[in-house]
Amino acid sequence: MLELRDASYRYPGYAKEVLVGVDLVVGDGEIVGLVGPNEAGKSTLCLVASGLAPASIGGKLTGTLTIDGEAMTDRKTHELAERVVICFQNPNTQRSGIAATVFEEIALGPMNLGLPVPEVIVRTREAIALLRLEPIMERHPTRLSGGQAQLVAIASLLAMRPGHVILDEPTAQLDPAGTRMVGEALRQMAERGTSLLLAEHKTDLLDGLCGRIVVIDEGAIVRDGPADEILADPMLAELGVEPPSRVRLSRAVEAAGGDARLVVSGAAAAAAT
Amino acid sequence: MIDVRGLAHVYADGTRAIDDVSLAIGAGESIAIIGQNGSGKSTLVRHFNGLLHATEGEVFVDGANVRGRRVAHLAATVGLLFQDPDRQIFAGRVRAEVEFGPRNLGVPAAKLSATVAAALEATGLAGDANANPYDLGYSRRKLLALASVLAMQTPVVVLDEPTTGQDARGLARVQRIVTDLTAAGRTVIGISHDMRFVAETFHRVVVMRAGRIVLDGSPQTVFAEESWPTLASTYLEPPLPARVGARLGLGLATPTEAALVTALAAATASGT
Amino acid sequence: MLGGYLGPLAIIGLTILPAAVVAGVAGRLVRISFLLTLPIAISVVLVSVFTRAGETVLFTIGPFDATAEGVDFAGQTLVRLFAISTAIGLFGLTTDPRAFVFDLERRRLSPRFAFVALATLEAVPAMVERAAVIQAAQRARGLDTEGSVRARLRGVMPLVGPVILSSLTEVEERSLALEVRAFGRPGRRHLLWWIPDSGAQLTVRILAIGALVVATVLRVTGNLDGLP
Repeated sequence: MLELRDASYRYPGYAKEVLVGVDLVVGDGEIVGLVGPNEAGKSTLCLVASGLAPASIGGKLTGTLTIDGEAMTDRKTHELAERVVICFQNPNTQRSGIAATVFEEIALGPMNLGLPVPEVIVRTREAIALLRLEPIMERHPTRLSGGQAQLVAIASLLAMRPGHVILDEPTAQLDPAGTRMVGEALRQMAERGTSLLLAEHKTDLLDGLCGRIVVIDEGAIVRDGPADEILADPMLAELGVEPPSRVRLSRAVEAAGGDARLVVSGAAAAAAT
Repeated sequence: MIDVRGLAHVYADGTRAIDDVSLAIGAGESIAIIGQNGSGKSTLVRHFNGLLHATEGEVFVDGANVRGRRVAHLAATVGLLFQDPDRQIFAGRVRAEVEFGPRNLGVPAAKLSATVAAALEATGLAGDANANPYDLGYSRRKLLALASVLAMQTPVVVLDEPTTGQDARGLARVQRIVTDLTAAGRTVIGISHDMRFVAETFHRVVVMRAGRIVLDGSPQTVFAEESWPTLASTYLEPPLPARVGARLGLGLATPTEAALVTALAAATASGT
Repeated sequence: MLGGYLGPLAIIGLTILPAAVVAGVAGRLVRISFLLTLPIAISVVLVSVFTRAGETVLFTIGPFDATAEGVDFAGQTLVRLFAISTAIGLFGLTTDPRAFVFDLERRRLSPRFAFVALATLEAVPAMVERAAVIQAAQRARGLDTEGSVRARLRGVMPLVGPVILSSLTEVEERSLALEVRAFGRPGRRHLLWWIPDSGAQLTVRILAIGALVVATVLRVTGNLDGLP
């Protein structure tokens, strides 16, 4: 379990606190979505939950980050690596640049942990199998589409067998095919029971995937509840978050006096194809 | 306004990014170009302001061939907004950033402040005119980049992925700006991955795959069920209202929420 | 003597540029080095020209005298700056990070240091591409880069800021991503790859280190001219 208690954070050199009194729990095997307008603090929250803030980037954190019962204060970044990992939105800057193949790229994480070669290979194969990357295993890491590169980035993190995975807008720089690829990967990870904290603008991606949604605005959590409930909340748009297409559509139909249930069944049928 | 004839573009490394594209865009048209990364969308629009030169074929802007004309010169006719605002913003003040474009075009000082003020107003940045661009968040910087292009008052405005990375408020504002530009008679060309934005905002949609145009028509035509196999071949999905409308067997294409609502009302009224 | 202008220019002209040409990176190297040193160069020139003690006054702006000695100092500093930046740039553009990491690991030095340098190394080639995109964006806003020399020079200013800023951002992103994957963890690694060495490379390394030692000794014993 990953827990943030009363977390407030300010970046080095800045006076203003970007996170204010945040309480957040991500239970084992939970898939939690994180939404909010830009500059609300989504990325900062991701960095703090992963421990990188302040361990790597400095700044001042008040409050605590606890993972599996252990406090993460004053831990070094490599000590955090086996407990929690974070995937960023740019697939290119997450590439190490020293791997000749996708296989090597994914193996780098376990290698860095000092594991013996057989163990490294086992973990790498595991991550590749989960995300179905066998077809591109031997390819050079620069010869991948955006979506593929992002999948390799995620696999590289999974190979370290982290307890918790945080993803900060992983599809922001991808085209629709890439977004679909990452959505599939997230579903596979969810089925496996990996705990995920997923920050996204694309609520369609979160719809049906997340059990819980957390809404952040101006550094504070303003909503935290079951996904269906939050995504259907009429106040969501006012909080600067675009509701999922199916919610928007149902609302538009209802507003015109139509029957939203038709929409729901139509949407379900459309999703099944 | 823009006439592309038999265009092909081959990059230095041999990639044939555009393969025999012909396209005519009338003045005042509002047209979206969609397709996966690598389909040639960005490559195509960069021919309109001379950033890229045709390997084969011709491109005419406002009646004149672009061949041999300088980018700085064509910039007075075609404004191009790049996807990443941070690859462009260099000024220390928002106002100075927005002034850069029109200044380069030789807009006289008297007219300059009015033009800049209008652009800032349209993008909701009027209150931040003296702010440092990097004190604005990513969304607002994207709007700042847009303001910089709007201030150039070009007859043609090309927006390369104006919605990527934008939050709900930013998206709504971009949508409003595009609609206003079209209402004002400017030609607007938008590249986007957001199918809902495309269906709701543009009157014409061009679908590209592997350097060619595979579909060209109104959102009704392009997102209609008949077009789905073509869309699927390029890994694009029509917006939800279109898919729901088709599943409900409403008979006509419903690419937008509004269209679906109308079609449902009509179907209910006629008792189906 | 090898000091003054001759030394740095000889280093650039006899070793760095030929190596860059052979490696096929000469064009990129010059462009990158220019972009990287420009901001420092400007402040160096301004400070040196006006504040170096000197007798031959060339012209005066306000309370500041521009001296010939100041110009000379600025010139010599600039060629040294350029020598340093082209050397670093050449390393960045031609070094295979895999080989570098492998080598450190086999010498039982923690690859941690290589991985820290990795973030910067990887960003160097990306800077070339980024500079091109930034230039395109500014040209699309009417910046004239195809006109007179004066226009071209004026055109450089709106490029420098975004190139450097976005390069710094990229380096920061890369280092964070490396940290997440425990690249900074101390201790041995068992690498999956092998990089063969060759006699020729060993010879060049020995000669290069030897030249460095000799040059340092000469400088320290006063036999090599430094900056005036």
